[in-house]
Amino acid sequence: MKRNTLSLAASLAVSLLLPALGAHAQSAATDADLAQKVDKLSAELAALKAQVQASPAAAPAEPATVLTSYGEINYNRPTKKPENAQADVRRFVLGFQHRFDDKTKVVTELEVEHGVSSADDAGEVEVEQAFIEHQLMPGTALRAGLFLMPVGLLNENHEPTAFYGVERNFVETAIIPSTWREGGLQYVGSFDNGLTVQAGLSTTFDLSKWDATSTEGAESPLAAVHQEMSLAKARDVAVFGAANWRGIPGLLLGGSLFTSNATQGQAGFPSARITLWDLHARWTPQRWDLSALYTQGHISNTAELNAPLVGSATLIPERFEGWYVQTAYTAWTSGDQALSPFARYERYNTASRYADLGAGLTPDALPTERVFTVGANYKLNANVVVKLDLQRFKENKDNNRFDLGLGWSF
Amino acid sequence: MRMLLAPLAAAASLASTSAFAVDYLSAEQARRLIFPDADSFEPHDIALDASQMQALAANGVPARSARWPVQVAKRGGSTLGYVVVDEVIGKFELITYAVGLNADGTVRQVEVLSYRESHGHEIRLPAWRRQFIGKTGASPLRVGEDIANISGATLSCTHITDGVRRIVAVLGLARRTGALS
Amino acid sequence: MLGSSDPFPMPRLMARWVHAPRLLPLLVAGLLSACGGSADTSVSTPQEARLSAAAALGEKIFRDASLSASGQQSCATCHNPATGHAPANALSVQLGGPAMDQQGVRQAPSIRYMSFNTAFFFDGEGTPTGGFFWDGRAASLAEQAAEPFLNPREMANTDKAAVVAKLAQASYAAEFKQAYGDAVFNDVDGAYLRMTLALQQYEREDSEFRGFSSKYDSFLLGKALLTEQEMRGLALFNSPTKGNCAGCHPSSRGADGALPLFTDFTYDNLGVPRNPDIALNADPGYVDLGLCARPDLASHTDLCGAFKVPSLRNVALRGAFFHNGRFKTLKEALTFYVQRDTNPEKWYPLNPDNTANKFDDLPAQYHGNVNTTEVPYNRGLGDTPALSDSEIDDVIVFFHTLSDGYTP
Repeated sequence: MKRNTLSLAASLAVSLLLPALGAHAQSAATDADLAQKVDKLSAELAALKAQVQASPAAAPAEPATVLTSYGEINYNRPTKKPENAQADVRRFVLGFQHRFDDKTKVVTELEVEHGVSSADDAGEVEVEQAFIEHQLMPGTALRAGLFLMPVGLLNENHEPTAFYGVERNFVETAIIPSTWREGGLQYVGSFDNGLTVQAGLSTTFDLSKWDATSTEGAESPLAAVHQEMSLAKARDVAVFGAANWRGIPGLLLGGSLFTSNATQGQAGFPSARITLWDLHARWTPQRWDLSALYTQGHISNTAELNAPLVGSATLIPERFEGWYVQTAYTAWTSGDQALSPFARYERYNTASRYADLGAGLTPDALPTERVFTVGANYKLNANVVVKLDLQRFKENKDNNRFDLGLGWSF
Repeated sequence: MRMLLAPLAAAASLASTSAFAVDYLSAEQARRLIFPDADSFEPHDIALDASQMQALAANGVPARSARWPVQVAKRGGSTLGYVVVDEVIGKFELITYAVGLNADGTVRQVEVLSYRESHGHEIRLPAWRRQFIGKTGASPLRVGEDIANISGATLSCTHITDGVRRIVAVLGLARRTGALS
Repeated sequence: MLGSSDPFPMPRLMARWVHAPRLLPLLVAGLLSACGGSADTSVSTPQEARLSAAAALGEKIFRDASLSASGQQSCATCHNPATGHAPANALSVQLGGPAMDQQGVRQAPSIRYMSFNTAFFFDGEGTPTGGFFWDGRAASLAEQAAEPFLNPREMANTDKAAVVAKLAQASYAAEFKQAYGDAVFNDVDGAYLRMTLALQQYEREDSEFRGFSSKYDSFLLGKALLTEQEMRGLALFNSPTKGNCAGCHPSSRGADGALPLFTDFTYDNLGVPRNPDIALNADPGYVDLGLCARPDLASHTDLCGAFKVPSLRNVALRGAFFHNGRFKTLKEALTFYVQRDTNPEKWYPLNPDNTANKFDDLPAQYHGNVNTTEVPYNRGLGDTPALSDSEIDDVIVFFHTLSDGYTP
C-alpha cells in the first residue's frame, strides 16, 4: 500500500505545524479530515490496483504448447445385411503443437484406430504427423518431418468437423489414400494474390509390397502400398507440388501433382513410376458449401510388375481415378449450433485399366463404383459435430448403409 | 484524481503493447494505415461495468472482458474514428488484428498484424478483409452469412469475424453511453 | 563310378581308401545299391572350403552309407542331391532296413528349402503349421536327422551306441574328434547329438539346399522370360478360381523380397486314395492317420488324415507324389486334384453298387476332415473340373520351371 508521500508529508507537516502554531479546534478538525481523506484515497488506489490486476487482460496469453485432438465414433448399419452392423471408435487422435519461438514450432499427431490396438485386435496406433515448421519470412515456411500431403480437399483437413458425412468420401480414401502422409521437406508459401504454393521432396510408396492374393489393392491401390514412414524403404524420392488459390473470398481453386519411382530398387523389380494428380474447387456463397474434385493415378511398367503375379486375385492397375460433387446448405443456425444437410455423388474406379499381359491373362478393368450419399451434419458448436447419412452403392449394393457419427476436434 | 489515474493509464497502455507480437504490422503501423489523415492518436480506455456486459451478452455478443483499450484518431481536434487492437486464437495460435471504426461506429478497415497458423494466410488478403468495410452493429457479421469463409481456415475466419462483431458491439455501446468522449 | 576313368577325381578320398581299404567294398556296395547312381561324385571339395567345420562334417555324414545297418544307405541315398534331395526313383515308398528290403511307411520327402521351416505350432487362427516330417513331429532339422538312423525300416541301427561306434570308424572320425574333442565318442548321447547338429548345420549352410536357381527364380528376378505356355500355367496356378494352387503353395515374393518357397508349411487333408503298393495296406485295419497319429495330437481328431504341404520346388524331378506315393506322374496327381469329386470312380475302388469308395484311406468317421471347400476341391459329382486336360498340361509345363539349376 503506497501512500502519496508528498501529500502525507504535507499533511503531517500541517498537522504538526498547526498545533505548533497554536491553531484553534477547527484547524485540528480539518487536519483529521485531511488525514482521513488521504487514508481513504490510499485505500481506493489499492482497491483499483487490485481490480486492474484481477480483471482478465483483453489479450489471451500466448500458449507455447497446445494440446490438439479429434475423434470419430461411428455406427454403420448396412440396410440389406443388418448382421454386418458395426460400431467403432474409428479414430482417436491426440496431438500437440509446441512453439519454440516466434518462428519455429513442432506439430505432432498420434492416432489410435478402431479403439483397441494389440496383436489380436484390429486397431492400430500410428504417428500421423510429426514435423517442424519454421517460418522463413511472413507467409513462407519450411516443414521437415512427417507431414500430410497437400492433395485434394480432405487430406490436410480431415477432422470430422471439416467434412460432410460420417465416413470420409471414397474418392479421397480409395484413390487419394487419405490420411496420406510422407516424410520429407516441404515449402509452403502464401502470396498476396491469394495463392498458396506447397512443394517438396518426400518418401513414397513401395510397389514391391503389393500383395496379389489380398483384396487390399482393389479397395485402394495406393493405400495397399503406402509405407507411413514406418521402416520405409527410401531409395526412391518423390517430388510433389500443390497450388491453391483463394483470391476471391469464399472460393477455392486448386490442384496437386505427386510423382515418383516406387519399386525402391528392389532386386528383380523393374523401375515403375506412380503419378497422382488432382483438381478441386470449393465455393461457399452465403450458406452454401459446394465442392468438386477430380483425381487420377497412374502406375507405369505394370505389365512387367504383374508378370509373376499373373492369374492372382489382385494385380497392379495401370490407371485408377475418381471424382465427386457435393452440395451442403446450412439450413438452421442458433448461436453456435448449425444444421447442414448435404448430398454427394461420387464415382471412382480403383482399376480402370490394366496393362496388357497377353490374351486370357490380362484382367478386366474393375467396374466403376458410384456412391450417392445424403445426410446432415449437426454442429453443436464449431468443435463438436453429430452426423447422419444414408449411402447407396450402385455396384456393391450390399454395402448400402445408414451411418451415424459423433466427432470432435480442437 | 487525475494524478492517480495517469499512472494507471500509463501502466495499462504499456501492458497492451508489450503483449502483442508483431509479424506483419506493428500496432502503430496499423493505426497509420487505417487513418492516414490522422495527426494524433489518443489512448482512451473503455471500462464496461457489470450491467453493460450483461446487456451485450443479452444481445448475443459477449464482451469477453471489461476493459477495452481504444486509440482515438484525431485530426485537428475532431475525432476521425477509433482503432482497437485485439487478439483471438485462430485454430491453435494467436492472431493479432486491428479494427478501425469510423466516428459513426461503422467498420472502416480490418488489418491483420500477426498470423502464425500454418493455414489460412488468406485472411490477410485485402479481398477477405474488405468484406468488413461498412459493417454496423446491425450486420450479422457471421461466417457463412455475410462473411465468406476461407476453405481450410474456418476457425480463424470465424474467430476474427466474432472479434470484429464484438468490437463493433462494444464500441457501439460505448458511443451510445458517452463513454467515448 | 570310381576308378581312373572317374571324371571327378577326389584325391582326399582316394588317399583314405589307400589307408583304409576295408571301406572300399562297402562303398562299392553302397554305390551299387538299388537306389541308383550315387551323387557322391558331385563336387564337395570346393564346398567344403566354404562350410564351417560342423557343416563340413555334416556333409560327410550325409553321404556316409557306412552309418547304416545295411552299409548301403546314407541320407543321400534317399535324399539324392541330383533330384532335389529327394528319391531318384519312382517307388511309392523307399526300401531300407538291414537287408534293404523293408518298405518305408511314407514317401521320402525332399529336404531342400527346409531351413526355412520352423517347429510345429498352432498359429493365431488355430492352423497347424511347421514341424519336420510329414506329420511335423520333429521340431528342428537336427531332431529330424536323428530318426532315420534308428528307424528299422530305414538305416536300421539298433541303438545310438551302434551309430556312434560306426561314426568312430568313419573316414572322417579324426575330424569329428578335432571338432568336438578327443573323448567325444565315449559319450554316446553327446556324440549322437553332435552328429545330428552337424547334419543340421550342413543343411543350413550348403547353398544346394536353398539354391533358388530355377527358371522361375530367374523370371522373378527379371533375368528370364517364361514361355507363353509357362505363363498360362502360372496364371492357372495362381488363379483363385482355377487351380488355386497358390493358396497353399505360395508363388509370389514375400514383402521383404524373399523368393517363394511354394509351401506355407501348413497341413491339408486331400483324401488321397489308399496305395496298394504299400504292403502294410494289405491289412485293412492299418491306416496312416497323419497328424493325429502323433501321441501329442491324438485328441485333435479333426486333424486325422492331414499331412504337410510339401514345397513344389523341384517337383518335376519327383517319381511319386503325396505322402503315400500313390501317384507316379504329375499328370495323374493334378488330374486327381481337379477330378477327385467330379469323377471319383477314376481314383477310388468301386463299391458293390458301383459308387466310388471315396477317401478309402481314411476311416469313415474322419471323412469330414477332407478338404472339400477350397478350390479346386469344391466340385461335386459330374461337375466340370476346375482345370481341363490342356490346362493341366500347362500347369505341368510351369512346374518344370521350378527345378533348380536353370541355365539360360
